[in-house]
Amino acid sequence: MNPVLRWFHQLGSPPAFDRFARRWAPWGFGLGLATMAVGLYGALFVVPADYQQGDSFRILYIHVPSAWMSLAVFAVMALYAAIAMIWRIKLCEILAMACAPIGAAFTVITLATGSIWGRPMWGTWWDWDPRLTTELILLFLYLGVIGLYGAIEDRRTAARAAGLLAIVGVVLLPVIRYSVVWWDSLHQGQTIRVFGESSIDPSMLWPLLWMVVGTKFWFAGSLLARARADNLRREAGKDWVRALASAPAGRGG
Amino acid sequence: MSYIEYVFAAYAVFMAVLTWDFVAPRIRSAQILRAVRLRATRQAAPAAPLDHAELRR
Repeated sequence: MNPVLRWFHQLGSPPAFDRFARRWAPWGFGLGLATMAVGLYGALFVVPADYQQGDSFRILYIHVPSAWMSLAVFAVMALYAAIAMIWRIKLCEILAMACAPIGAAFTVITLATGSIWGRPMWGTWWDWDPRLTTELILLFLYLGVIGLYGAIEDRRTAARAAGLLAIVGVVLLPVIRYSVVWWDSLHQGQTIRVFGESSIDPSMLWPLLWMVVGTKFWFAGSLLARARADNLRREAGKDWVRALASAPAGRGG
Repeated sequence: MSYIEYVFAAYAVFMAVLTWDFVAPRIRSAQILRAVRLRATRQAAPAAPLDHAELRR
């Protein structure tokens, strides 16, 4: 068998995944923290204040990467849920459900920091603007997935039901993305483009790129840590978890 | 026009949420392993001797 395929098959085994997650989650968190530290240093101490918005524009360096993550994590969650539903892979169920609280966390950051930025810039904490409203609906979808997964006792049935909600919820992502194009919106349009020229000054762009990469690493670490916890919960009655629990401190935690 | 207090508030929210995101799964894993350990200890403990005091009376 192809070594990569064999590795994937082995990773599907709960004890193998536990070892993998225990080993790599700290790396995800560590790299995320280090990368974001560089980005935050640039955002707070290097980049000059905006000529119109003053220092408040520095909020952009946490708001924009979090907003992108709120959408990306939902897409990843739906992808895992679809794989789990089609091929009945238990690990993908676990990974899909582990995405939900992380995505919800990034959505909360997006809404909160946007609101804090909006108060001095727009003169209001909140407006029922298409972008803000659709992002709020995204948060409710995340909470729906978390709630549904927690409400059904059988883990596999719960994951299937919540996964279906995640798959259906994907239709919201393009609506959020293009809400500023389709409707008149108080929220500003696209200023940063992956392909093409961004309208942000290049001297202000680099901390944002560090933050974008840093949040991805963080997500990887958090996904592994949360999936590991759910994997342990599902396998709590198995011998390998008992062996892990009775292992000397530092190995099991 | 510095709005520095808004910047502090936004970064505080960011830090607080990420701290929760870091801590929550670790606490959950530790709780599960602790519960498994306690259950194993309970099952391994010898059964308590029957108290026949009631029968002796």
